[in-house]
Amino acid sequence: MEEYNSGDEVVFNADDVNISVKECIEGVIGGTDYNQSKVNQWTAGIVEHSLTHLVKQGRPFKYIVNCTIMQKSGAGLHTANSCYWDTATDGSCTVRWENRTMYCVVGVFAVAL
Amino acid sequence: KNTWFLYVYIFIATASLPLLCLPTCWLLRAQYPLLGTIRNVVLEFIPDNRIVTTLPTTCFALEAVIGEHDYQHNRVNQWTNLVLEQCLSQLTKLWKPFKYIVTCIILQKNGAGLQTASSCFWDNTSDGSCVERWENKSMYCIVTVFGVAI
Repeated sequence: MEEYNSGDEVVFNADDVNISVKECIEGVIGGTDYNQSKVNQWTAGIVEHSLTHLVKQGRPFKYIVNCTIMQKSGAGLHTANSCYWDTATDGSCTVRWENRTMYCVVGVFAVAL
Repeated sequence: KNTWFLYVYIFIATASLPLLCLPTCWLLRAQYPLLGTIRNVVLEFIPDNRIVTTLPTTCFALEAVIGEHDYQHNRVNQWTNLVLEQCLSQLTKLWKPFKYIVTCIILQKNGAGLQTASSCFWDNTSDGSCVERWENKSMYCIVTVFGVAI
């Protein structure tokens, strides 16, 4: 089992995660238009990079990263989530991003070990 | 040896659960005519216990909450909350040693493209997830359940 940073508090820091996930999204789809043939690659790329980033921090958490990309065409989209966990140690963070042609919603859930 | 007997007992006890769920499905079928067309959600937990629970939970929740309705912007918030609430309460009633994360997406049908993906860093032997897709003539609904062992 990997060793985790000792002395760190076991509290999920949503602000840091917010910033790093935004950077991941920008890196993958920043400046591109919605493309049906590439969207599969994009979602996979975003979740992979975000997860790698989170794991590198070495905190004692299990992570779930969820990414949704929707084309802007006037349709209504509603996403919601509900969690049954230990509110003292676990946490989540939702990042919304958009450009001219698409919306991207990334949810990060961290469950303490 | 005692542990082995315990595992066999748990397997037999829980393997009979799907059979109990089927009559419930049939009873509710009269009330919710579309239920028969929705696939059941199967959650697999702890492989070495081989506990496989057939959960028509999300089917009931979706059908009961939004079955015959058309997409309505001012009510979709209420619908997602109800679906999540019902799914989570049914999951917790299973009394398994898990933390749960349930996400629900409702998308209006108008030709837009939607792609979702998720990636998880956890213990593959004890944690798992499942996705249930549902639709009617005016909207799609995708419910994802993640279970993380305590």
